[in-house]
Amino acid sequence: MMKGKKFLALTLIATMTGSMLAGCGDSSGSSGSTGSTGGTETASKEDGGSGEVELELFSTKTENADILQEMIDGFMEENPNIKITLTSEADAGTVLKTRLTKNDIPELIAMGGDSNYTELQSAGVLLDLSGEDFISEVQEAYLDMLYDVNVDKEQTAYGVPYATNASGVLYNEDLFAQAGVEVPKTWSEFQDVVTKLQDAGITPFELTFADSWTCLPPWNSMAPVIPDANFTDERKAGNTTFTGTHEEILEKYLWLLDYAQEDFMGTTYTDGNAAFANGSAAMMINGNWAISEFLNTNPDMNVNMFAFPSVDDESKNTVTSGVDVLLAVSNQGTEEQQEAAKEFIRYALKPEVAQSYIDDQFAFSAVNGVEQTNETVSGVSKDIANGKVSNFPDHYYPNGFDLSTILQQFALNKVNGMDDAQNIEETLTSCDEQYDAANVE
Amino acid sequence: MKQKKRINMAFYVMTVPMAVLFFCFHTFPFLQGVFYSFTDWKGYGNWKFVGLRNYLHIFQDKNVISAYLFTFQFAICATILVNVLSLLLACALNAKIKCKNFLKAVFFLPYMLGTLIISYVFKYIFSNIIPLFGKALGIAALSKNILGTNHAWIGVLVVTVWQSMAFNTLIYLSGLQTVDRDLYEAAALDGATGMKRFFKITFPLIAPFFTINMVLSGKNFLMAFDQFIAMTNGGPGTATTTISVLIYKKGFSGGQFAYQSANAVLLFIVVVLISVFQLRVLERREEKVN
Repeated sequence: MMKGKKFLALTLIATMTGSMLAGCGDSSGSSGSTGSTGGTETASKEDGGSGEVELELFSTKTENADILQEMIDGFMEENPNIKITLTSEADAGTVLKTRLTKNDIPELIAMGGDSNYTELQSAGVLLDLSGEDFISEVQEAYLDMLYDVNVDKEQTAYGVPYATNASGVLYNEDLFAQAGVEVPKTWSEFQDVVTKLQDAGITPFELTFADSWTCLPPWNSMAPVIPDANFTDERKAGNTTFTGTHEEILEKYLWLLDYAQEDFMGTTYTDGNAAFANGSAAMMINGNWAISEFLNTNPDMNVNMFAFPSVDDESKNTVTSGVDVLLAVSNQGTEEQQEAAKEFIRYALKPEVAQSYIDDQFAFSAVNGVEQTNETVSGVSKDIANGKVSNFPDHYYPNGFDLSTILQQFALNKVNGMDDAQNIEETLTSCDEQYDAANVE
Repeated sequence: MKQKKRINMAFYVMTVPMAVLFFCFHTFPFLQGVFYSFTDWKGYGNWKFVGLRNYLHIFQDKNVISAYLFTFQFAICATILVNVLSLLLACALNAKIKCKNFLKAVFFLPYMLGTLIISYVFKYIFSNIIPLFGKALGIAALSKNILGTNHAWIGVLVVTVWQSMAFNTLIYLSGLQTVDRDLYEAAALDGATGMKRFFKITFPLIAPFFTINMVLSGKNFLMAFDQFIAMTNGGPGTATTTISVLIYKKGFSGGQFAYQSANAVLLFIVVVLISVFQLRVLERREEKVN
């Protein structure tokens, strides 16, 4: 009797415990069978239609799902024999990598020019598009940014930069006017503006640190300006450390936190956007992608952007701008699918299509001659046109290096009342440790 | 020679397909996970064997160690709270009270809802509704979103306990119903009532149910995942990163598939050891009281 029960209990435990490993193992399970053949699933998809090519467009951005769908509809009208379905889901970067483990690569991928791209590129599943005629439609500067994140900085286009973004300071023009302050160009002016806003009874910053990724923008704005320009390369080679080079960034970061709204650690991105749109604070440190969210809440909001004034030397301050969306083609699909995917890229690069995309997204275009003219980003569009931009530094960090979590901890330490000097020291030590842990090949 | 008893084929027909399916979809992937834990596989691409490197690295990895410490802290608190509260609830529901079935349904409801759904609802409650009340009533502790503080884990704990109580209450209730009413009458004649009756009669009789509840909830909470992903995503910072959350985040987003497979194997071993230990101790106690 006792034996039987013990056996039952043990089996139960073993089963349930095992199920978790199975969760991880399951995805790897199928890789064995499809490992070399790759396109088995997609090949069978085609049998359905008569001469029809089916593609999946996988987007890692949920914000652009509507406009992508519009583009797909327009494309399919022109090309009735090609059928494209859009996949756009939350946490898409992880989903994409999970599918990579199963060798189930979408034929067409719209993704950021970040470490996700590097992983796919280094896994060798992306088609070389360098020889295509449409590459010349794209701005050199953004192609270079993409080359930079290729493994070994290979000068080959495995993707076509499509839309670019800008990160800096978003501000409420009405509240700035109310406090009688102008857009700051240097760090000292910035400090001045913040104190004036505070004196006028306006909360200077709305921060949304409950979502850890929103801890990154201040860092991303300052990190390309404050340490030496070749820091990311030197760090990768192990010749330098965060400690000793990034103290100034964190000091300024802590200063910002003093002027944020109450309970900024408990405010989510969604809630913070809604509050900011309704005038809860004068500034938000984030990117142009948030603007459409504000206008959803409050269509009458007068919002604009300016480059984060990291230092007092105005000429050094830049807008952080990266490849927000690039279009890449999988080399795992069939010949027809690859051709159809290229056809879609050709369509997307048409000036009128590219224009409608950036108008919808308040984004900037990587396509030559397509300009963002919207008022809401006028403060940075000039900088971008003049090339006063730097890429997101975290695009150069190794993939496993979870900086956002470290910065969230850093902000939490501050709220908990930890001594600033100790907090900075611990955070930078942790940056170095985590970087080294992630920087193994 | 003893005559061999013919076993009905039906039993094999019932068990073998299940065993095969179980092996294919459960045991085999598990073994694959064990296999990859000895490699440097990133989840795709080329790999080679690295021996025990992954396992040795786990013990020096600060992230892993702090995740284990946090998980144990969470699991111990949750196991104790869930079992104490659900035992109380089961005793109350087993008494002759009105609307018993309705109340049972009410308490069982959280179990029917998905953990993710519950977690998202509570995330909203914690970040929007509770701070509103806290401010209105002037209670400083409640006017912040608890999920954004050092105490984030308490918020998750409350939700977890609330949801997990349902199942444990059910098991305790079925246990209480196996207790013979005559025993209570006899005990009443001997003068055992109230607390005394509970500790001397009821509890020893439902001890096996206590054992299974302790083991199952201990195991569940050591592997807690859904509620953390939905409510805090392991944050703020790494304050609420459980082992499972760490395995998921680093294994998939962080490209450490093989290394985190090793971590998962370690977690499996730890959970089995703890469960066996719990069973041993609790059953020895059962035998003693019986």
